[in-house]
Order: sequence, then C-alpha cells, then structure tokens
Amino acid sequence: MLRIAQGRVYDPANGVDGDVRDVCLNGGKVVEELPSHAPRIDARGMIVMPGGVDIHSHIAGPKVNAARKLAPEEHRADPLDRTAIMRSGTGGTVPSTFTTGYRYALLGYTTVVDAATPPLAARHTLAELRDTPIVDAAFLVLMGNNLPMFELIRDAGPDGAGPVTEAVAWWLEATGGYGVKLVNPGGVEMWKHGNRNVTSLDDEVEGLGVTPRRVLEAIATSVDELGLPHPVHVHCNNLGVAGNWRTTLDTLDTLQGRRAHLAHLQFHAYGGTPGKRPRSRAPELAEHLDAHPEHSADVGQVMFGPATTITADAPVSARLREITGGKWVNADLEAETGCGIVPFAYRERNYVHALQWAIGLELFLLSRDPWRVVLSTDHPNGGSFLSYPRLIRLLMDREFRNEQIDRVNQKAIRRTVLRDRLEREYTLGEIAIITRAGPARLLGLADKGHLGVGADADVTVYGEHEDREQMFATPRYVIKGGRVIVEDGELREAPAGDLLRVEADHDEAIERTLRPLFEEHYSVQFANYPVREPWLLEPARRIPARRDGSGR
Amino acid sequence: MAAGALERVTGTCMIGDAWFAERTVDAPPVARVDGREVDFAEAVEASAAILGEARLPLVCGLGQTDCESQRAAVALAERIGAVIDPAGPVVDGTVGAASQAIGLSTATFGELRDRAELVVAWRADPVASHPRLLPRLRLDRAGRATAGGDFDRTLVVIDVQRTATADEADAFIELPPELDFEALWSMRALVRGVPLDRDLAARLPLDGLGQLADRFRACGYGAVLPGPGLVASAAGYVNALALLALVRDLARIAHVVALPLRQDGNARGAEDVLAWQTGYPAAVSFARGHPRARPGEFSAAGVLERGETDAALIVGFDALRHLPPRAADNLRRIPTIVVDPRATETAAAARVAFATAAGGVHREGTAHRMDGVPVPLPAPLASARAGDEQVLAAIAARVAGAEGT
Ligand SMILES: [Zn+2]
Repeated sequence: MLRIAQGRVYDPANGVDGDVRDVCLNGGKVVEELPSHAPRIDARGMIVMPGGVDIHSHIAGPKVNAARKLAPEEHRADPLDRTAIMRSGTGGTVPSTFTTGYRYALLGYTTVVDAATPPLAARHTLAELRDTPIVDAAFLVLMGNNLPMFELIRDAGPDGAGPVTEAVAWWLEATGGYGVKLVNPGGVEMWKHGNRNVTSLDDEVEGLGVTPRRVLEAIATSVDELGLPHPVHVHCNNLGVAGNWRTTLDTLDTLQGRRAHLAHLQFHAYGGTPGKRPRSRAPELAEHLDAHPEHSADVGQVMFGPATTITADAPVSARLREITGGKWVNADLEAETGCGIVPFAYRERNYVHALQWAIGLELFLLSRDPWRVVLSTDHPNGGSFLSYPRLIRLLMDREFRNEQIDRVNQKAIRRTVLRDRLEREYTLGEIAIITRAGPARLLGLADKGHLGVGADADVTVYGEHEDREQMFATPRYVIKGGRVIVEDGELREAPAGDLLRVEADHDEAIERTLRPLFEEHYSVQFANYPVREPWLLEPARRIPARRDGSGR
Repeated sequence: MAAGALERVTGTCMIGDAWFAERTVDAPPVARVDGREVDFAEAVEASAAILGEARLPLVCGLGQTDCESQRAAVALAERIGAVIDPAGPVVDGTVGAASQAIGLSTATFGELRDRAELVVAWRADPVASHPRLLPRLRLDRAGRATAGGDFDRTLVVIDVQRTATADEADAFIELPPELDFEALWSMRALVRGVPLDRDLAARLPLDGLGQLADRFRACGYGAVLPGPGLVASAAGYVNALALLALVRDLARIAHVVALPLRQDGNARGAEDVLAWQTGYPAAVSFARGHPRARPGEFSAAGVLERGETDAALIVGFDALRHLPPRAADNLRRIPTIVVDPRATETAAAARVAFATAAGGVHREGTAHRMDGVPVPLPAPLASARAGDEQVLAAIAARVAGAEGT
C-alpha cells in the first residue's frame, strides 16, 4: 500500500492535467482509495506521472550484444560498481544488461520495448531481458525479410492473407514476442544477394516473387486481422537516403486504412535526390500523419554526441562504414534478417547531422497530435536513452532550444522551419503523452501509461525544477508494481521485471505448411525452433490479441 | 560441451558419441574434498571457504557448460571479486579480440549452406575437427555437386600440408604457417589490384592467391572459415586482424563473411553471456568491484603464469591438460574447485570436486552455436545430481551468507 499524496498529477489518458491529488497504490495496481494510515510519500510541490514507456529501443539480443563487444573504450570509461542491491556493469551508449535496467529505472522508465529481434535468436533476447532488471520488457519480432514468409506471401495472392496471418501468429507464439517489425522489407534479403538493396516499393526481391509493397500489405493486413495490440511496426525502405520521404509517403499510402506505426520517422523524412545533400520534408510527413489517425510514429531524434548504430538494415550500416571508416559489424541471419553495427558520433557543425537533429525537432514541433508522434532516439542509434531529459528540455524550453539552434550548422537550419524560431513549447501534459501515455496506447498496453484505477502501479515522481533536463534526469521517486524502486534519486531495490508477450491464437495446421519451409531454409530443426523453456519465458504477462477483425 | 552437445541436438557423430560417453560412464562421487567423498553441503562449504579466503580467485573454463551455468559463473565471479576467463583452450579468443578492434562480417551456418558460392578454409580442417560441418553445409564433394542445382560452389583450402578437408576441396594452396600474415596482407593488395613487394611475392604461392582473389571478385557470396592454426598460434591476434581487414576489403566487392571455427561447444555462449553481463566478451577482472578488461591482461593462462591468483574455480575444463605448462604448474600449487560432469585430471587433483549432471545429457539448457544461434539442449537421461548452475548458485549463496548480505 502506498499513497502518493498531493502531487501535481499528469495523467493525460484520464484527462488529468496537473491537478493536485492523491494516487493510491495497492497490490501492484492503482486503486481508488486507501485507509488513512497507509504509508505515504509526501509529493507536495512535485510532479506525478505514470512510469515512462519506451516504444522503440534496442536493449537486448544478438545485435545489441555484438554492439557491446565493439565498445570496450566506452565501457572502460563508464564502469558501475556492484552494491548490496546492484550487479556491476558498464555503461556508454550500449550498456550491459543490468546497467540498462537500472538506468532506465533511474530515469523514471518502467516499460521498454526492444524493437528488433530475429525470431531465430529469441532465446538470446529472452535471456538478456531476464538479466535486465526492474523494467517490464517486450520485443518485436523481425518478419520483413523472412524467406518462408515470402513464400507464403507470394502464394497467397493479393487478398488471401490466411496462411500469412496464421504464420504471423505462430511466430509470435514461438518466440514469446509482442509485435511485428518490418525492417527495409525485401532490402535486407537483397543485401545478401551481392550487397544490393531495393529502392522502391515495387522493386522485386530477386527470384522470390514479392515486392516490398506486397510484404507491407500482407503483414499489415495479417496484424490487423489478428487484432494484435500493437500495429505493424515499420522501418521503411531507403532509410537515410536523400529523397526517401517519397518512399515513406508511398508506404503510408499503401497502408492506408490499416494500422501502422513508423519507426524513427526522422531517418525517413529527407528531401533532395539520392547521393546529394538531403533537405527536410518533415512538414509534409507531419501533415500526412495528422490526417491519418490509423498511423503513428516515433521520432528517432538524433542527439549530438556519441551513438551506436544498430540495425537489421545491414546495407545502411555498410554506407555508414564508408562514412566513418571505423568499426563495422555485419551479421547475416539465415532466412530472416541481417544486422549491421557502426559506432557513430553526431556533430553540431556537420550539415547532415544538424539537419537530422533539426528534422526530429520539426516533427515534434509540427505534430498536432502528440498521441501519435511519440518520443524516441531509437536508442542507441540517434543517441542514448540517457539523452531523453535533454530532448525534453529542447521541446519544453524555447529559449534553450534557440540557443542550441544557434550553435549548429546554419546551412542545415536554413533548410528547416526551425529558422522561424518556432514558438511552440511542450507542456508537462504533452510530455506525459509522448513519453508514457501515447506509447502505451500505441502499444495497446491498457495497464501502462496511465494512473486510472486498475492501471499498473508504475509511477514516477519528479521534483519541480525550472531546468527540465535536470528535472527529468533525476526523478525523486520511481515506483514499479507498487514498490519504491528509486527514492531521492537513488536505487533502493532492483526486482525483476515481467516479460510482456502477446497472446494470439493460430491454427495448428499452419505447422504443416511451415515445416517443409523450415527444412529448406534453416539449419536448426523445426522442433527446436519454438521457445518453450520456462526459465526464458517467465515471469510473463500475456496481452491478448482481439481477433475479431476490428482490433479495438 | 564439446562439438558433441550441439551435434546431439540434431543427430550424432563420432565425436558426439565420445562426448556423450564421457559424461555417462562411471560417474564419480557427487562431491569430494581432498579426495574424500563428502556430501554436497560440505563441498559447498569448503568451496565458499576457499573462495572467501582468496585474495584474487580465478574462475575459468565455461566453454563446455550451458548459458545458464555461465550466467551463474559470472554472478559468482563478481561476488567474490574474481578474474573470469570464458575462453577454455586459449585458442578461441583471438578473432573476438580482433573483431573488437575493427569489427567483423559474419553469418550463420544456414546462410553459408544456401548462399556461399566460395568457401575458403584457412588452416581449418573441419573434416577432422567438426566432422558433420561440411556435409551439413553441403560443402563436401557430394553436397557441392547437388547443392540444389542453383549455383556452383567452390571450396578452397589453405594449409601447411594437404589435409582431409583439402581432399574434399576444389583447390589447395600450400602455405607455410609463418607466412599467414603476409599472405592475408598480400591478398588485400591483390584484391585491390595494388602491386606486391617483389621479395615478398617470391616467397608466397602467388598463383594460388591470385586465383583466389579472382574467385572472390567473381563471386556473389563468399566465406572464410579461419581455423585454430591461423588464429590460435603465437601470431594469432595479428593474423586475426589481417583476416578481418581482408574480409572487410572483400566485402566491398562481394558479399563476404568470416565464421571462425571454435573448439568448445559453447565457447560462443560464454563470450556472449559475459558480454551482456559486463560489456566485455573476453577475460574480465571483478577485483575492484566492477568489470575491467584489457586484452590479454586477465587471461587464465596469464594470471596463473604470473602467480597472481591464489585459488581457482574451474568449470567444465580440464585445465591441467590444456593450459600452457607454466600456468598448469602454478595451478597445481593453489587450491582449486572443479565443477565438471566428467572425471578429468584436473578434477582428480582438485581440493574440491563436484561431479555434476551434464547439460545436454541430464539437464536442459541453452547453448550458442559458434555462429551465435541459440539452441536448446535436451536432457535425454535423468539424473539426481545438481547441474553446474546449481553448484555455482549454491556456492554463491554460501559466500553471500558468510558475508551477511
Ligand atoms: Zn530501431
């Protein structure tokens, strides 16, 4: 039992915008009332929000671990000691698992979605999540370059998504995953064909009889048919390429009428011509999203300083390798995906980096519906999750933002609406939307991101501070599942979080279709592919899909 | 688990059968202290006492146990402020260390089987070391002939003399081991069309290497399998660097990957678990309360040779037989705790020895194949014994109890 007494509460999902009131927690849930003798936190003068929800991050699995192996210098510079309640570890842009859990919690985040796990490597991701304390975690399963899936899509024809739908559900069940991710559909497969790629939605994936458009349509239709809580999560084709905004618009048009979430929109919002200097097309994309309530995006803000690019979009990494000339990892994963890693640094004076930074801010500042354009840095691609407080200050504090704008490459700024010194400042209520209420709603996590009766007792309490960066960097209290995890900015305990996985039924008969495809394309046996080990899957919470056609 | 455990997931082979037998016949007593059979609790107590008194304990082995036990080993090492080295035979680490410096282009086995038009085994002899590998990758002669009919595949072997694998190959390049680095570096030049140093060229099998460069230029998907002879020698680290640099160059003109062959069945798992828990894939010291790693500094062989460690916990590794002689000599002088399903020389000499239920035989678990793919280990036989994980957790709990935390 815990009463968080008399704080200013921001709970946008329930229409609460800074009202002074009590939040009562019992049995891991928000409750209506508590006896007056219940323990309390005196939150007078403080800001109370639901625990943060990160909709798109990279925290676990083979890609992240390969990136960790590349970063001994960062780890040496940022060690964490073991304490009575904490395992030791290392930080930097790709922290060790324990450190990731602690630092998310210390930041007031209690739910994190890993955005890209190859299904064949689900065991690895699950094992890492088990070593990532405190936060509840879910992962999205990569399906956009999957050879058995391509065969099902090709054979299904334009309408019949049937076997594809069953296969999507089967794969989620087999991996313990939460949702479906498409990364450069078709393009990663082409990367394995002599380092090529696709450049438009109608390019054929060589010899396989599908196009990116067909993959997008089929999978998005299946996800809607299954009524998965989270729509298909799309990393569009042509990431980072000048002029790619047309591909992004084409993707959104193709998915019109179907739910879809676009990952790290900033990286897909470039005008200009391929190979030439990009310019901003953020206003057009913000406009388009605004007009299509079935679509949403996270921004993928770039923050100046060190980053590590980790992506299933391996051809993008090969381009970055040519830019940095530094470390580069490529890892092809049979029948499913690729992986590329390049350590990177964004610099204020660099035209492209400054443009990327500015485009991210444009997307935030031009978006009229914060529920559908939510915060991410695509950690650690655009920067570490530890830079969220600074990003929040950029959004909330116009004076600070303008100072920063003056520091960066002005040629880039002149190509964006930031040159107009936009007036907009995010309110605390809007910040609560883009960092918890919005992501939770887009993820379909009904118990997260709000403080209504029955919600999970995940709460963050901030000390009021004029410097919003400082305020959001060091919450006073973080409560997870009703337990006080952080007190006065310090970790008090570090319990395990839950795995959040979807529950979507499938027709068992799909296995008869999948088995021969597996035997053809994989080097593991079909029987060994699905994860059944309880020590990898539990404790878990199942979030049911609503397979009645309408989603919600 | 040597090659065997992973083979057992899908089938069997000679090495797999030997591996299985080693873990199922004549099981030694569950626990011994100074050669005397004791109950489990007493052995745990004795282990905790040894580790509690040690100034700088060493935890090593790990490549033959499952990921779950590896997790427990890292947790214990952290708690007792130990140095932990996940590399069993010293050989497995150099490609990892080199890839930390420049990265790596790699792939899983299924990709090699279904896409690689050109495969180069560089001082690797999988016919002898990993007998099922070539057939499973359809790289043996029969497999290449019938490889789906989709594409031609070529196997090239580079080694000091003709090997069993060379007999399966389309081309064999004879190369003395002291010229590995020069050959790799020259390949970089050949691939780029840069002229070679004439003295150097005279010492190298230039025809073969030139042809190989042409083959790479002409292929869509190529792969290099570096073997222990290339990367586990005294020059292993520089060879590994040269190899990865070459693959990086090649990756600009074709889709080229490298997949190092490893000895211990779950060496990759040990590296992966240590990396996710600490940020470092190779030997780590917890002596200062947080993980520290510097290439070479904390290797098991190194800390033993320098006499820096005063107690050792060895998991699934016959250290006395596989460590360099000086390290092994020093290991005999300090108290050791051995956790191993097998009866090894190292277990027989240990102060405390736990004979455990074997992962992949008596206990389910997870292993990472050498290509990183995680696979479940089955437990076809029952055993009442504790597994490695339970032993390590029990010692950690006892140490924690003694510390009062
Ligand atoms: Zn991402």
